[in-house]
Amino acid sequence: MLNSLLEKIGIQVLGFLDKAGDFAVVSGRAVAAIPRRPFDGRNLMRQFLAVGVNSIPVILLTSLAVSMVFAVQLVYGFKQFQAEGLAAQVNGLAIIRELAPVISGLMMAGRVGSAMAAELGTMQVTEQIDALECLATDPIQYLFVPRLLASAITLPLLVCLSIYVGYWGGHFLLVAVEGQSSVIYANDFYKLLTIRDLYIAMTKAFVFGVIIALVGCWRGYRTFGGAEGVGNAPTSSVVTSSLWILIADFFLTKILLV
Amino acid sequence: MESAPVIDVVNLSKAFGPKVVLSNVNLQVNEGESLVVMGGSGTGKTVLLRNIMGLLTPDAGHVAVDGKIIQQLGREELFETRKKIGMCFQMAALFDSMSVEENVGFALTRHTSMTPGEILNRVDECLEMVGLKGSNKLRPSELSGGMKRRVGFARAIALKPKILLFDEPTTGLDPVMTDVIGRIILGLKLELGVTSITVTHDLKSAFEIADRIALIFRGECIACETPEAFRVNPHPVVQQFLRGDADGPFLQDPPPPRREPRETSRSTFDPLQSV
Repeated sequence: MLNSLLEKIGIQVLGFLDKAGDFAVVSGRAVAAIPRRPFDGRNLMRQFLAVGVNSIPVILLTSLAVSMVFAVQLVYGFKQFQAEGLAAQVNGLAIIRELAPVISGLMMAGRVGSAMAAELGTMQVTEQIDALECLATDPIQYLFVPRLLASAITLPLLVCLSIYVGYWGGHFLLVAVEGQSSVIYANDFYKLLTIRDLYIAMTKAFVFGVIIALVGCWRGYRTFGGAEGVGNAPTSSVVTSSLWILIADFFLTKILLV
Repeated sequence: MESAPVIDVVNLSKAFGPKVVLSNVNLQVNEGESLVVMGGSGTGKTVLLRNIMGLLTPDAGHVAVDGKIIQQLGREELFETRKKIGMCFQMAALFDSMSVEENVGFALTRHTSMTPGEILNRVDECLEMVGLKGSNKLRPSELSGGMKRRVGFARAIALKPKILLFDEPTTGLDPVMTDVIGRIILGLKLELGVTSITVTHDLKSAFEIADRIALIFRGECIACETPEAFRVNPHPVVQQFLRGDADGPFLQDPPPPRREPRETSRSTFDPLQSV
């Protein structure tokens, strides 16, 4: 009874370590393949379009909604201490340090990471990845590198957009709805912030972009089991990358704020 | 003195878990020779091709292509060797996000310094060889099964490989298209003079294209000889395979009993009379 339980735990642990090791090896190969020729500019541009440009509406709407809801909560909370004036400052701090990178990261994990997992998963089960191998093309270089670069470069840009939209979301709520001064809001939004906060946000966005691309591509690349496998890959990709985004967010905040 | 074989499969064994798929298989294919590998479903024919391409690693034995042992090559050397081999997949494995032209020109774009015009000319040439001239702009979703296979052939020959591997090129196609595919393979063999291995179940095209025929039975190669010798091979499995008969040693589980076709009961409804 105990032996069988220990055996089951052992199998689970070994299975996890096996997957973690495989992820590390594949990720290492993807990073090592970045400077390798041939450089596929067309493929990279296609990924910039898919990951970056096509994500603008999603980032725009979620950033607007989150910043407005957060402003409502702040006004409500600070009203209890007659400190509504602090709402703009805390709104700015929260948007730049946490909300913009994390919300953008999670939304992109859902939109882009899942698409990568589904696309590569379909290619895997239809032997297209084997066909790439047979045509003397490294699938890691051909499939992972453009997605990794596009995700790592565009996520910081999308976070900048998210911060900008977040500013106007808070502005609409605090100035247009709550009647605060527009000039004071503009000053207060950046009052508690330094350039380091923007650097932290960009660092987080970059790391989240790398996580989304690597996890999404890896889940797709390791898909097996036909239609069911292709169905599971995006779900697993979103769950795994979301979890890693939250874990990385905690550690990055702890490390970078010191 | 006889030259070294282009493809040398030595004591190759491969198992997936407890299931042994290939056991101690030895095959040699000489330059310009066409070997047809036959065998029942699930006997490891595709696994053999995948080992030759380096997509699978053998449990024991090895495969050498042009004297180089595939499993000992580094990634870069492996890719260099693969440029000499054209692989045609059973279900074509075309890149579904690309047009026919992009599929066929894929390897040329990546591995040669040809100009777009030269690539286009070579793509046209390859498509013409497989009888699909003018279908450059079609997407894989717009092609029939037979057309997909032929685009797969065109993609495989684009880099002018020394070796062609065909994985069940006629499975699932109607008899006419099967004959077309057989003729194309024969045409490629004669025009390009390549060394080839064709995995197939289709006896007619097998006897047309083969210089030698090998039969894999329960993971082992039980015959590898000229079509004439294969036809008269007394091995009961070979004879059963040629007859296409369910009774015999070929199947592991006994087949369902043979029944005489029942006399169909005459319907009282006669469609011709009702008109």
